[in-house]
Amino acid sequence: MTQTVLEVKGLTKWFPISGGILARTTNYVKAVDGVDLEIKEGETYGLVGESGSGKTTVGKCILRLIEPTTGEIIYRGQNITKLKGDTFRRIRRKIGIIFQDPYASLDPRQTIEAALTEPMKYHKLVESDDKAHERARELIKRVGLNEDHLYRFPHEFSGGQRQRIAVARALAMDPDFVILDEPTSFLDVSVQAQILNLLSDLQEELNLTYLFISHNLSVIEHMSDRVGVMYLGKIMETAEKQIIYQRPEHPYTHALISALPIPNPALRRQRVVLSGDIPSPVNVPSGCRFRTRCSYATDYCKEKEPPLSARQPGHLVSCHYELKMSTPIPITKTSRKI
Amino acid sequence: MSGSAPGDGEVLLQLKNVRLRFKTYAGDVKALDGITFAIRKREALGLVGESGCGKSVTALTIVGLLPENAQVSDGEILLSGKNLLKSTPEEMRKIRANNVAMVFQDPTTFLNPVLTIGDQLEEVFLLNPERLARVAAKRRTEDAQKKAGTSGERTKKEARESSLAMLSKAEQRKVARELSIEVLKKVRLPDAERILDDYPHELSGGMRQRCMIAMALARKPDLFIADEITTALDVTIQAQILELLRELKREIAGSTLLITHDLGVVAELCDRVAVMYAGNVVELAGVEDLFANPLHPYTQGLMRAIPMIGRPLERLETIPGSVPDLIYPPSGCRFHPRCPMALDRCEVEKPELIHTGKDHTVACHLYEEKKS
Repeated sequence: MTQTVLEVKGLTKWFPISGGILARTTNYVKAVDGVDLEIKEGETYGLVGESGSGKTTVGKCILRLIEPTTGEIIYRGQNITKLKGDTFRRIRRKIGIIFQDPYASLDPRQTIEAALTEPMKYHKLVESDDKAHERARELIKRVGLNEDHLYRFPHEFSGGQRQRIAVARALAMDPDFVILDEPTSFLDVSVQAQILNLLSDLQEELNLTYLFISHNLSVIEHMSDRVGVMYLGKIMETAEKQIIYQRPEHPYTHALISALPIPNPALRRQRVVLSGDIPSPVNVPSGCRFRTRCSYATDYCKEKEPPLSARQPGHLVSCHYELKMSTPIPITKTSRKI
Repeated sequence: MSGSAPGDGEVLLQLKNVRLRFKTYAGDVKALDGITFAIRKREALGLVGESGCGKSVTALTIVGLLPENAQVSDGEILLSGKNLLKSTPEEMRKIRANNVAMVFQDPTTFLNPVLTIGDQLEEVFLLNPERLARVAAKRRTEDAQKKAGTSGERTKKEARESSLAMLSKAEQRKVARELSIEVLKKVRLPDAERILDDYPHELSGGMRQRCMIAMALARKPDLFIADEITTALDVTIQAQILELLRELKREIAGSTLLITHDLGVVAELCDRVAVMYAGNVVELAGVEDLFANPLHPYTQGLMRAIPMIGRPLERLETIPGSVPDLIYPPSGCRFHPRCPMALDRCEVEKPELIHTGKDHTVACHLYEEKKS
């Protein structure tokens, strides 16, 4: 049995909304509303959802860049939710993060070398400045850039190169778990492939565990071993990738996957189009939060929220009913030439 | 849709060797390097490429909305035979009002935040009082016919006469509002009456984009340009808009130019596709032909580089390097520094678009060699 690297239990994050002349808290944005996750050593767990579903907040809560409202974060058996000071710092260096926007995540006034050596110095991972330089040189080469690049500033790089630098910086602390928050959504497709390959290579080489957050279903399918589908702050369905993409059992997963335009005109298909928009996370619908857009919803869904329960080992679905749905994507038998 | 692809139909819009540069402090950005393609009547042409390849600039050139530092140095754009590049600003304004409508990526920036949707949508109709008078007259006859049964020969005649009479401002507004409600219903917006009194911030992204589409369609344009209209939307909302476009395609009599970087959107909606790279059209073909048999090394690379559901791959193939800086574009074929199959001549000589098969053109030296 492979070891569990990270476990999240009942995580919630409610952002208060203040209003009125006394600026009292009038309501909450329920960005994350009860999420459980378990990520195993060496795997990539893909967290997919539309904007506003809370996937980024989950990532930030794990690192406690945002303090969770309730819930527990357990890293390798140790509850890190309430840790402080040095003890927390020692654990946090094992968890890296790469953000979506490489233009915002690098300090424009810092050379690349400074950006790479700063975390090493902060976490006291190197004895001397020389060692830090040496390690920075290794890292920059490892992500496919060269030593000259160390002495430049972020504005001299393209988006893809910046994201490589962000990867190098995340690796500087020698983490074993990395949160990838939409790492390619700012990049062009021809560059996206380079970064995805780099991430796969690094995972294999350094035995990393990834939490891959994205709204892009194709990228998630390519990168992940297991996938969790989020909707309005909760996980609706989680399972092995093949199950999610070929035999989903939650109507939202089904609609989401069938909604994706597939770059193959031979595969034009019947799609399930959901009506309406995602409800506001301030006024989450009663009962099942997906019921307002679900074509199978009944009165019972209005009253009772379905628990995320196991249909098969490892396949958890949050729905009252066991629905029979078609495969959302026809798989072509004829292999295409390209 | 693919089945009803309009073959070698009549040409609506023809771009011929359009060159354009932007003057900047850092130097001239050679954004378009001789773009040539045609949009046929009633077809949906997809324009795909990565950011910075010139897709949006091409669209802005067509509608004449380029920023001041842009300079078209060569070429012509013919809309039903009329060169748009030689038109005066006043003529272009009329063309935008009547012939070519464009919808942009981000509906939030293109809707006026201090006017209601109704104010903005009704304006489209109010600009054309003759049309309003015609519509009003038609309605009157229809009503009269309903009342008098089908013996409406005389009423028709009366209507024709009364249609020449102009409406008062209040009447105009009333008819414009009715037409606005109709067009909002056409883009499947529920509760159209209420939406007309809403301000843009009261609507969701998908609804705003529907309003933008409604404004474009209200003009019954010959050419409908959609510039990345689903990019800013979530997958499920994107599916709604794609479904809407598919339905509207049957209703729109005009042509569509669909600009996107998403090959999936192209595969679903277009009849033909033009692939752009660094200011050039590198390949142009029917959608099925292009996906089954991409010829240009860039198109091939692009298709192998995208993760696709239902096509499990161990590794994605990559195109080395990144999109070039167009202040100093590569010589010869602009793709040659990244091309795995580059020949010596690619560095010096720019390839022309050549026909390689029925309705399939490509700008690559590899295929010239084969042909000769």
